[in-house]
Amino acid sequence: MSVAVSHISKRFETHGQRAVPALRDVSLEVKTGELLALLGPSGSGKTTLLRVIAGLEIPDKGRVAFGEDDVTDKSAYERKAGFVFQAYALFQHMTVFENIAFGLRVLPRKKRPNAKAITKRVTDLLQLIQLEGYEKRLPSQLSGGQRQRVALARSLAIEPRVLLLDEPFGALDAKVRKDLRKWLRHFHDQTHLTSLFVTHDQEEAFELADRVVIFNEGRIQQIGTPAELRENPTNDFVRAFLEV
Amino acid sequence: MKRATSDHWLARYLFIGILVAFVVCFLIFPVCVVLFEALRGGVALYFSALTARHSVSAIRLTLLVALAVVPMNTLFGICAAWAITHFKFRGKALLISLIEIPLWVSPVIGGLLFALIFGRQGWLGPWLDDHGIQIMFAYPAIVLATAFVTFPFVARGLIPLMQSQGSAEEEAALTLGANGWQLFRRVTFPKIKWGILYGMILCNARAMGEFGAVSVVAGSVDDRITMPLQVEQYYLNFNLPQAFALASVLLLLSAVTLAIKIGLEWRRLAPNIVRPQT
Repeated sequence: MSVAVSHISKRFETHGQRAVPALRDVSLEVKTGELLALLGPSGSGKTTLLRVIAGLEIPDKGRVAFGEDDVTDKSAYERKAGFVFQAYALFQHMTVFENIAFGLRVLPRKKRPNAKAITKRVTDLLQLIQLEGYEKRLPSQLSGGQRQRVALARSLAIEPRVLLLDEPFGALDAKVRKDLRKWLRHFHDQTHLTSLFVTHDQEEAFELADRVVIFNEGRIQQIGTPAELRENPTNDFVRAFLEV
Repeated sequence: MKRATSDHWLARYLFIGILVAFVVCFLIFPVCVVLFEALRGGVALYFSALTARHSVSAIRLTLLVALAVVPMNTLFGICAAWAITHFKFRGKALLISLIEIPLWVSPVIGGLLFALIFGRQGWLGPWLDDHGIQIMFAYPAIVLATAFVTFPFVARGLIPLMQSQGSAEEEAALTLGANGWQLFRRVTFPKIKWGILYGMILCNARAMGEFGAVSVVAGSVDDRITMPLQVEQYYLNFNLPQAFALASVLLLLSAVTLAIKIGLEWRRLAPNIVRPQT
C-alpha cells in the first residue's frame, strides 16, 4: 500500500516562546512495496513526520493517505500502521508472547482470532524473528537486539498496511546493528511491506533503502535513490550533509 | 578510612540522641499510654467499651465515610493524573499546585466551606431546607468534608509516577489498535496499580482519622459522629476507658497503614521510588 503525505505543516507549542515549526509544507509519496529512509540531522522533523503518518501527532495542515484511504481524520488506533519505537516501548509487565499478541487481543470481538489462531500467529512471528522459545521471557530479560525484534514482531502481528520505524537500530551496538539491518532488508525483500524508517546514519540509509529522503529544518531537501543523491545533490545542505 | 564529612563523635551522639529522645517522648510514649490506658481495666472492660452503643455507631459511620470517600478520591486521582500526564494544556502547573490546597490549608477551613454552602444560613441552606434534604450535620456533609481533606492523596502519588513512566507504551498500544479503555486496562493500570493502592491506603488513613473538617460539619449529635469525634466526646464526658479503647482502634488502623506502606516501599512498588528501566 502506498503512503501519500501532502502539504503537512506542524508547529509545536512551547511554553512562552515562539512556536517552532517542526514540519513546513512537507509532501511525499512512498510507493507500494518501497523501503524508504528519512535521513537528516536530529531535530530536523523526520521523527515528527513519522508520528504524523502513524497518527501520534496531529498536523496543523495537510493530509495523509494510505492508498486510496484518507486517514487524516482517523486516530492512531484506526490506522493499522505498524510502528516500531526508538526505545522499543515494549510492555514491561507482559511476556514476549503477550507483547506480540497484544494487537490481536484488542481487536473487536468479531474480528478477534481465537486462542489457537493467536498462538499460531505469535509462534510464526517468533520463528520469523528467530526467537523461538523466548515467549515466556519478560522484555527486561532480553538483549537490545532481541527487544528490537520483539517490537518488530509486535507491530507485524496486526498485519499493518505500512511499517514505520523510528531509528530502529539507534540503541544497538555496531555488530547487532549490521545483522539486524541485513535481516530487515531480507524481510522487506520477501514481504514487500511498504516501509519508512527514520535514521540519522547515512550509511544505514544508503545501504538499506530503495530511496532516501533528506530532511532539514522541517523541509524535504531532496528525494532520490542513493546513487542519484550521491551524483546530483541539489543544494548545499545535501552536499555538505552527504560530504560529496 | 575516615570520610571528610564525618563529624566529631560527640556531635554524632548528640544529634542521634536528640532524635531518639524526640521519637520516644513524642511518638512512642503517647502510643504506649493510649494502649496502657485502654487495657488497664482488663480485656473484658476493653471489649465492652468498644461495643458500647456510641462506639459501635462511630466505628460504623467512620467505615461508611471511608467507603464513600476512598473510591471517590481514587477515581478522581486517576483521572487527574491521567489528564496531567497525557494532555498538554495551559495552566497545568497551576492545576497541580491547586490540587494540593487541602494539604496546606487547615482542615477546619474545609469544614467551614461546606457549612457556608449547605448550612442553614448558607447559600443553598434555605433551598435544601424547603426540599427536606439534609446535608449538614449528617452523612453527606461528613463525606464531603472528608473528601476535601483527602482529595490530593491518590493524585499526588500517581502524577510523578506516571510522568516518570512517560507515554511510550501507551503510544505503542494505540498504534496496535487499542482503544482508550483497552489502553488503560491493559497497559496503564498494570503499571500504576501499586501506586494506586499506596495512595488509597494513605487516603483511607487520613479519611478515618480526620477531625477538624468533620467536627465543623458533623455537629455534636451523639450517634452521627465519627471515631475521632467520638473519642473527644468520651473524653469530655470523662468516659476514659471508652475514649482510650476507641483511640486504640484508630491507632491499630495507623499501624496497619504503616505496615502496608513499609511493605510497598520495601518491595519497591511505592510511587515515590522510580524504578530504573532495564
